[in-house]
Amino acid sequence: MKELFPKEHVMGFVGSLVLTLAALTVVMFKGMSNGVAMTVLLVTAAAQALVQLVLFMHIGETEDKKALYTTIIYSVVVGLITVFGTLLAMVWGYM
Amino acid sequence: MSKENKSVPLEYSTEENELKIFGFWVFLGAEILLFATLFSVYFALVDRTGSGPTGKEIFELPPVLVETFVLLTSSFLIGLGVHAMRIGRTKAMMVFYILTLLLGAVFLGVEINEFLTYIHDGATIQTNAFMSSLMTLLGTHGAHVTFGLLWGSGILMQIKKRGLNAKTANKAFIFSLYWHFLDVVWIFIFSFVYLKGVL
Repeated sequence: MKELFPKEHVMGFVGSLVLTLAALTVVMFKGMSNGVAMTVLLVTAAAQALVQLVLFMHIGETEDKKALYTTIIYSVVVGLITVFGTLLAMVWGYM
Repeated sequence: MSKENKSVPLEYSTEENELKIFGFWVFLGAEILLFATLFSVYFALVDRTGSGPTGKEIFELPPVLVETFVLLTSSFLIGLGVHAMRIGRTKAMMVFYILTLLLGAVFLGVEINEFLTYIHDGATIQTNAFMSSLMTLLGTHGAHVTFGLLWGSGILMQIKKRGLNAKTANKAFIFSLYWHFLDVVWIFIFSFVYLKGVL
């Protein structure tokens, strides 16, 4: 039975639960400023994504890991440019 | 069939298998961009609520927390499923995959109920730009989960019929990548739609 629950996965799962609870603190403590709250959310979400990518999806386990990281990082960068470019052009400029 | 390489897990054992896994990662790159554009639309329109409700008025955290923990757990379980597959425990692997899909169904049930609650409260996809972008983002994720349930069930039926071989193991592994990816997308929805919405 024990061999079915590798340490790496169990730790990843515990990590993702802890990160979820950490993200929840932004709604539990009302005194938090908006900037701090957004930082907490950004950090916990990015960490969650890394837990899934590295511990569960094993992105680094094969010889083509360089190509995989390149593909995913490129997509994430273009995605971030899309999101923050939209915010810059459509939201922040009119505040 | 091309020759099998015994030094790597079954799902990587042929060149075709390796390339299929690589190709799926490229597809996930495109999926990241799909969701990035949907998030952009949502962030641009989130305050355009017109005379309709705002996020703060309609979001309820308890069901969202259920969805989050259910999806996190299912992502963990399918990871265990892949591990069981690699150590040759086909039965355990199938149990983990079935539990994964069941939790996926629970997630979908809670999400459908959430949509029905919104509609019951008079907030439909036509109410305001906020609701349109919200339901498009959530709906696209939910549609992915729905497709995943069908796809995963199909793979399980194949494994039951044909056993684990280079082909079925490859499909099961690729499906696990898809499922983990949906969990990542959900984490971003949870953080930047719901938690940010009720701040």
